[in-house]
Amino acid sequence: MSNPTADWERVGDRFYRKIKLYDAVFDQDLELENYVIAGAPCAGAIALYRDEDKLHTYRGSQASKTGIDIYSCAGKLIRRINWDKGSIRGLGWSEDEKLLVVTEDGIVRCYYDLQGDFTQFSLGNGAEQHGVKACRFWSTGFVAILSNNRLIAVSHYNEPRPKLLAIPPEATVHSWTVIPPAYTLSRSVEVLLAIGQTIYVVDSSEAEDRVLPNGPFKYVSVSPNGLYVTLYTEDGKVWVITSDFQNKIGEYESKAKTIPKDVQWCGNDSVLLVWEDEVHMIGPDGALLKYYYDGWVHLLADIDGVRIMTNDVCEFLQRVPSTTEDIFKLGSTSPASVLLDAVDQLDKKSPKADENIQLIRPNLPDAVAACVYSAGQEYSTHWQKQLLKAASFGKSVLDLYSSDDFVDMCEKLRVLNAVRDYRLGLPLSFEQYERLTAEKLIQRLINRREYLLAIRLSDYLRLPTNKIYVHWASQKVRNSTADEGAICETVVKKLANKRGISFEYIARAAYDEGRSHLATQLLNHESRAGKQVPLLLSMSEDELALDKAIASGDTDLVFFVLLHLKKTLPLASFFRLLTNRPLATALVESSARDQDQSLLKDLYYQDDRRLDGANLLFSEALAQTAPQTKVDKLKLAAKLIADNTKDPTTSLYHKSFSEAQALIRLQTTLDNDLHGGEKVYTGLSLNATLHRLILTTHAKRATKVASEFRVPDKTLAWIRLRALVAKRDWAELEEIAIKNKRSSIGWEPYFNEILGAGNTKLAGGVFVAKCTGLTARERSDMWIKCGMITKAGEELLKARDAEALEDLRSRASGGGVGEIDKMIAQLRPKR
Amino acid sequence: MAPHSGINTDDIREKARKDLLDLLEGVRGKKNLVIEKSLAGPIGIFVKFSTLQDHGVDKVFFLENDNVDASQKNVIFLARGEKANQPIAVAEQIKRLQKQSNIDHEFSVVWVPRRTLVCNKILEEAGVLGDVGVEELPLHFIPLEQDVLSLCLDDCFSDLYLRKDPTSIFLAAQALMPIQQAHGLFPRIIGKGDNAHRLMELLFRMRSEAAADESTTSKFGLMPSASVESLVIIDREIDFATVLLTQLTYEGLIDEMFGIQHNQAEIDSSVVGPAPGAQQSGRTPAAPAQQGLKRKIQLDSFDKLFEQLRDTNGAIVDGLLNKVARRLQSDMESRHTAKTTSELRDFVNKLPGYQTEQQSLKTHIGLTEEIMKNTQGDIFRRTLEVQQNLYDGSDPSYQHDTIEELISRDVPLTAILRLLCLESCISGGLRPKDLDNFKRQILHAYGYQHLLTLDALEKMGLLSSRASANVLLNPIGMGGGAAEATKTNYNYLRRVLKLVVDEVNEQNPNDIAYVYSGYAPLSVRLVQSIIQKQHLLTITKGASAASNGVSSAAHGWQGFEEALRNTKGETFNRVQKGDDQAVKARHMLAGTGGKAKTVVVMFLGGITFTEIAALRFVAKSEEGRRKILICTTDVISGDRMMEAAIETGDFGRG
Repeated sequence: MSNPTADWERVGDRFYRKIKLYDAVFDQDLELENYVIAGAPCAGAIALYRDEDKLHTYRGSQASKTGIDIYSCAGKLIRRINWDKGSIRGLGWSEDEKLLVVTEDGIVRCYYDLQGDFTQFSLGNGAEQHGVKACRFWSTGFVAILSNNRLIAVSHYNEPRPKLLAIPPEATVHSWTVIPPAYTLSRSVEVLLAIGQTIYVVDSSEAEDRVLPNGPFKYVSVSPNGLYVTLYTEDGKVWVITSDFQNKIGEYESKAKTIPKDVQWCGNDSVLLVWEDEVHMIGPDGALLKYYYDGWVHLLADIDGVRIMTNDVCEFLQRVPSTTEDIFKLGSTSPASVLLDAVDQLDKKSPKADENIQLIRPNLPDAVAACVYSAGQEYSTHWQKQLLKAASFGKSVLDLYSSDDFVDMCEKLRVLNAVRDYRLGLPLSFEQYERLTAEKLIQRLINRREYLLAIRLSDYLRLPTNKIYVHWASQKVRNSTADEGAICETVVKKLANKRGISFEYIARAAYDEGRSHLATQLLNHESRAGKQVPLLLSMSEDELALDKAIASGDTDLVFFVLLHLKKTLPLASFFRLLTNRPLATALVESSARDQDQSLLKDLYYQDDRRLDGANLLFSEALAQTAPQTKVDKLKLAAKLIADNTKDPTTSLYHKSFSEAQALIRLQTTLDNDLHGGEKVYTGLSLNATLHRLILTTHAKRATKVASEFRVPDKTLAWIRLRALVAKRDWAELEEIAIKNKRSSIGWEPYFNEILGAGNTKLAGGVFVAKCTGLTARERSDMWIKCGMITKAGEELLKARDAEALEDLRSRASGGGVGEIDKMIAQLRPKR
Repeated sequence: MAPHSGINTDDIREKARKDLLDLLEGVRGKKNLVIEKSLAGPIGIFVKFSTLQDHGVDKVFFLENDNVDASQKNVIFLARGEKANQPIAVAEQIKRLQKQSNIDHEFSVVWVPRRTLVCNKILEEAGVLGDVGVEELPLHFIPLEQDVLSLCLDDCFSDLYLRKDPTSIFLAAQALMPIQQAHGLFPRIIGKGDNAHRLMELLFRMRSEAAADESTTSKFGLMPSASVESLVIIDREIDFATVLLTQLTYEGLIDEMFGIQHNQAEIDSSVVGPAPGAQQSGRTPAAPAQQGLKRKIQLDSFDKLFEQLRDTNGAIVDGLLNKVARRLQSDMESRHTAKTTSELRDFVNKLPGYQTEQQSLKTHIGLTEEIMKNTQGDIFRRTLEVQQNLYDGSDPSYQHDTIEELISRDVPLTAILRLLCLESCISGGLRPKDLDNFKRQILHAYGYQHLLTLDALEKMGLLSSRASANVLLNPIGMGGGAAEATKTNYNYLRRVLKLVVDEVNEQNPNDIAYVYSGYAPLSVRLVQSIIQKQHLLTITKGASAASNGVSSAAHGWQGFEEALRNTKGETFNRVQKGDDQAVKARHMLAGTGGKAKTVVVMFLGGITFTEIAALRFVAKSEEGRRKILICTTDVISGDRMMEAAIETGDFGRG
């Protein structure tokens, strides 16, 4: 086995390694120099597109057909996408391997599954008129620059919202790049534009000149962690500064005559300059390393290194991780390195193995950890094994060791080795895998239709497999040529007893493919009623959709269906759908009450709900302002229920409608007569009207009105009482008491109300005596309430109630005591 | 979280807070917040206005006022998306701002508790969907207290019973699901009432759908909870009468007289004195400390004195206050007896505590005085008398004169309607002639617009004519029939469940009936029939019957089937089973430790403060055996129930 240090190169004080991932990548005929190339982050797929600006040999009509080719890193063609939408100005990937294609006129296509399915949106903001010049992508979004230097940012592809950034000066942009939102202070994307001598930093609110004197800069590039920026000047100097433009980290003179083709970061501490077949690496402190190739070179930057693509090879260039460096560096004496050596000795059955262990005993746990970690960094299975063996040997010596990390690493390496196979071409580094997560890796496999491996891996990693099955099934229903019944059967058979299967998704795939019968069949297997609804609606299965929505219990869904149906169906058939569906009717009613009263009227008419219709007209009457229109509405309401007079409710309605009309007329008259048209009476209830009339000394009129409306005597008596008390018309009250022997409500209320108003004299003087129905004690209490102790005593004396008198005496004070004593004395039997 | 720790309402509060603040943080820089009025109160419970300010909120507007200005570039709308009204209002205001202002606004809309299809559609049709960032705030239950969770759906009562719109049932189900996700399935779902039944079905449906949903992991939904004993769902509809009665606990009385909303009551400052400094304000967003007329008073368990008083019968509150006042006095006096410096320091350390206590004492004395003024009044006494006679089962027609008199005396309409509805509920409807008569009197006294009010009450089933109450009234006839009762038969239940308790001790209550001074709320009796079988049997049938009646192992409704048959709506009792193996495995692991399990009681359609007090009373007597967590769609009262029906317009326009 070759030494792991064989592909290491020293750059300054550290090592870089170039790992050959795959060879014979592209067809030798493919002229890489004529292609635009973009690679998805984390060792994802590669998109190639024939650069329109380059000349190409004429090969007849066939060659004029352009397309975007998607390859794996190993050069396997995954998919060819035909392209006829005009010239492409931006080609890039998102972190979840969506391919973004931006055309000159601002149309963005998002190919989300590597299989040619896409969503599309438009950039707007003037992109159409001015044309897109170029685009820069980051993990979740991109920025497009228009020919007039306007910048449009899209920060996510799920419901994308293109936003115009602040407007930079209109001058030639020498080069530009973006700092992803995750790394900026403002948490929104920042764009670096090299204009003139300097750099402008543009975000959503402002375009700021950073006033650099050394431009023009031909290249601007941001390090993967967003902390550093490298600038390449026209005269061949490379500058490295912090991304806040505060500090200069380094400067390097490239002495190159020609401007490089590309400038990229490799990890976070070195910069690569690329000419056609030459790569220069500039490490910290200006150390230089040169690589030469046979053919054209493309660089694909990743989070922890750079993928180098040529026709022949796909290589990964990265800094050697320090733990790995410690283990394999020539002459290393680090504990981990000694441990690795010990395994070697063990294989040779040499006693030095034990000596080694004893040597590093105190550092053994660290050594084991280092070996485990370094195993992850190796691409060669031999060295992975060797390192894990070392770790395993080391941990067997330790008394206490948690094997979690070890087991974890074994598991991850198994996954990594499986997907690194050239047939898949996903050469993930450990770092990238950690960043990507297992779930997303599975998703990548699904998109590549590697279902078997995906399922195996999911099972191995204890992840849910439902998505894989669903994806498989939806591909099946789209592409299978078998007859529909058979497809449905295969799918259902395969997915039976699997948890979390979304038949709705599969059915939608079938429907989109034009197989609506199959879609319906599949939909029947969907257990979540709510999920079926939107698809059913787009299939115009209105009634079924409504029923499923109701079954789901989600009123939002029902409401949604109803809104849709109201729009698409004629009113009559809409109402027909509502019959026998009380929930739907209730929802329509309750929303129409707020927004669409005429719909409600139609609904009541259709269902012959006269009373509800009358109610509706009645509330309309309430909303009217002019007395006459109120009356008119009331008449209309009355007419609606005219045929039905027998029902007690209806008869009440009739009576109330006509009374309400009469009251409105009466109040209008009163307002005109008594207040010169000012609305004083309008809006009052009947009782309140009476009350007001009495209060304002129109008692006669009140009596007349009361009899017109047949107000009960008792009610009128109460109203009069309250009004007179409110008016403090004691004379009138006294007169009532004198004139009448009996009152329809008794005299007690008079007493209470008058007392409540504070007139003890009238209450006690007149009304206590009238309450003949009460007992002596009660009457005496009434006297007491008026503060007339003596009278209270007399009352009790009359009733010869000695006991109560004694009680009264204890509550009396001053002169009253004497009087009561006298009364008590009167009651005592004479001796 | 450990699976045994039970349901912690603080976690819910904390999560709601974090969710909201995260959303605010998601919009960079200063922003204006436009909030739906009905959300302001609930949000005020778990986040202070000053906290919102700390997170960049500049000004707060009410959505209903339609007055958001262009002072900030960022505008966040916070509204419920279940009905069409709010999305329409949001869309209009966005359009207005876009048209009026010359800044390029950044709009975000946060839908509570979820982003609905309807609001998507409405924003789309208004042509603004492309210009706004849409988020959702999964705000379901809001903890009013340690043991009370509310959905704070103000309109829930009218939606459910007047408009027959079951959205709140769905929202309740959505709110209960996370509890199941966190603590395991409710081992038993038991309840009464048609809407309750629908909620139970929804929970089952959601469970199976969650299992089928690809986004959730397969771990969910296998095991019944170890910390929760059961979910009891009570549909408000089965017991309207309880709500209609005047609440007689201290908190209930405050609610009756001043109205309590989201733990706050607005009270005239002449009653409780002016606000003590500024510390009270800022509790709710957009509530500038109102000086002068009204003052907002926080009524929750942070006020220790209130916590003591809230669930006691109003009649004994003045006595308790006296006691507290005297203790406080002697505590304050202790400074004179303090001799050593350490004693003095002790006193000084306690001083702030004394001061807040004194402040709260002052507030509650003011409240109590105001309440007593009211309860001693003629109208209150007569109303109470009518209520008592009605639930005692005396002939309702004897009460009619009093009610008529009250109408003539122009007492608030809600009071009248409550009495009439109470009569209708308890005696299965009014005689057609009486009903007609009362209706006419109400129309005369309060205006013809109440034709709509009366119609609404009839639609809710609160008011009915005896003729239309077709069946029932005859408990003997009910025996064999398997059909569900269409009305709750109070006359029968009064006997069977001992709803009326004559000798009730208000000082040291021995039965839940103390909350209404002699009437035990039916709703809580039903809960008792599930979790306090022995106790309930003892009081209804006497000790002997209890011992040979139902064994202590009985569960569900067992022993009270007959009572349920005389209560409106469907009865159900279903066990949620998990994977057998998993259950066994857990039994092996957990053993059968005697930890107190939680019973979740869900009141669909609202709960009153008296019922909460009664449930707390039940919980106290079950202490150590089980805990009770009260969930509800909203806290209601008789007045709020009536307001759902009352037509607010009149003929006075123009």
